[in-house]
Amino acid sequence: MLPLPTFEYAAPTTVLEASRLLGTPGSRLVAGGTDLLVSMKHRLFEPRLLVSTRRLGLRGVSVADGVLSVGAGTTLREVARHPTVLEHLPSLAAACRTVATPTIQGMATLGGNLMLDTRCLYYNQPAGWRASLGYCLKREGTVCHVAPKGRGCYAAHSADTVPALWLLGAEAEFVSVRGVRRIPVSSMYHDDGMAWLRLEPDDVLTAVHVPLAGRAVGHRKLRTRQAIDYALVLVAVRAPVDGGLWSAVVSSVSPSPIFVEAATPADLAEAAFRACQPLSTHLPAATWRKKMVRVEVARAAAALTSA
Amino acid sequence: MSDSTNEAAGERVVALTVNGDSVRRLCPSSRTLLDFLRVDLGLNGSKHGCDVGDCGACTVLVDGIPRLSCITLAVEVEGLAVRTIEGAGPDEARIVAAFDEHVASQCGYCTPGIVLCLSHLYSEDPAADDEAIRQALGSNICRCTGYTKILAAARAASQREASQPAQGGSDE
Ligand SMILES: Cc1cc2nc3c(=O)[nH]c(=O)nc-3n(C[C@H](O)[C@H](O)[C@H](O)COP(=O)(O)OP(=O)(O)OC[C@H]3O[C@@H](n4cnc5c(N)ncnc54)[C@H](O)[C@@H]3O)c2cc1C
Ligand code: SF4
Ligand code: FES
Ligand code: FES
Repeated sequence: MLPLPTFEYAAPTTVLEASRLLGTPGSRLVAGGTDLLVSMKHRLFEPRLLVSTRRLGLRGVSVADGVLSVGAGTTLREVARHPTVLEHLPSLAAACRTVATPTIQGMATLGGNLMLDTRCLYYNQPAGWRASLGYCLKREGTVCHVAPKGRGCYAAHSADTVPALWLLGAEAEFVSVRGVRRIPVSSMYHDDGMAWLRLEPDDVLTAVHVPLAGRAVGHRKLRTRQAIDYALVLVAVRAPVDGGLWSAVVSSVSPSPIFVEAATPADLAEAAFRACQPLSTHLPAATWRKKMVRVEVARAAAALTSA
Repeated sequence: MSDSTNEAAGERVVALTVNGDSVRRLCPSSRTLLDFLRVDLGLNGSKHGCDVGDCGACTVLVDGIPRLSCITLAVEVEGLAVRTIEGAGPDEARIVAAFDEHVASQCGYCTPGIVLCLSHLYSEDPAADDEAIRQALGSNICRCTGYTKILAAARAASQREASQPAQGGSDE
């Protein structure tokens, strides 16, 4: 039994009210709860107040002026089945379908995925497990077990939809008591496992806007089992237009996804290999994961060339 | 739509339907739907497995869609319709019969979750093929059967005309 800590609960009906509540210390948003509640059972978070997104009206997909707008509260299952997503953004549909399991895809939201905590073998564990190791820097401890001589926390960015959304040119819309702003998904994240989001606690993600006229993007996820497991290496690759460059975003190897460009698929795979320095944040050997970055980028590019 | 915020700190009234019956209870905000069903309502069909979203033993249907009740707050299903294995109808009975015939259940701990996932799958795709069945059951872990008999039972319960032989899929 892993009981939840106790907390108060509010289900506001406007985003501004939610943002106001989130401005008070110790409060957190809960959407699908598929990551937050597990983390709370592991005592990674013990919020005083949970603010629910369920009455904020953030669920639904619309299309206008060549842009697909997905409410942050839309489930991954709904995104992956939307006809416009299937027709114009198959890489986004594919990314949603690789998250966890079909049951979790029916609970988890796209907003929760973009805001997902960074992950590590020494962090995503029950409180007793972490206590017996003396905890770690990211939560309650003073050392990093992955890089004891390092300069911080290297917990890995693990949100499956982010590499594809990044290369599709998606923007995230945030609302807070300070106003509304749009941030490209490509500039939402920092390379710091403890402070990986460039946002304030009272920023409510309301929607993700994805241009439909984007170029072809491929998505690949390396994992132990074909269901349930998080990625060991996650890649998205974008084909060039008009003699431009190939691009790749690699995730699950560092706190922020990593972007690289190159003239050919082979150079792209090599550039990604050189840019990524995975550490032992996952069970399989980091040296093997580094080699697999090259393999997965090459496979994603090959699939785009043959498509 | 009433927002029940007037209760003592941390406790709220939750009103929902469970297997067609209206239920109204005062419960702590931190109560999971699984504990709400098992402890508050005495419905023990939904099983307590991993407690963290990995195994699918606690699966119930909320407004017809599978949900893991161990990582769902009872307060978050306020106003919705929950169906557990205790509310099994003819669709589930057909699946359970196939499980009996193919001996697809040993300890039975995973069975309620799997039956509800399959019942949801067939409600959308009555003739689901092996690939669709495998995909859907990616949500559920069984420690006993080795899955072969579960797949055989699921195939028998699907309304597909010509049953295809099971083949080594990519997920093995
Ligand atoms: C067994 C298991 C396997 C998993 N495997 C994967 C996987 O393979 N890939 C993957 O990407 N994820 C995986 N997950 C994690 C999770 O299911 C997904 O990332 C999911 O998309 C999170 O969405 P949610 O709605 O459940 O978020 P929640 O858990 O409700 O919230 C997650 C975080 O986002 C914040 N948040 C939520 N909504 C908003 C908003 N609108 N504005 C601002 N902040 C917000 C919350 O405060 C919280 O910090 C897995 C989870 C489990 C239990
Ligand atoms: S990378 Fe180090 S500090 Fe960060 S979660 Fe892992 S062990 Fe903890
Ligand atoms: S008990 Fe809920 S998924 Fe295992
Ligand atoms: S029959 Fe025992 S876990 Fe599946």
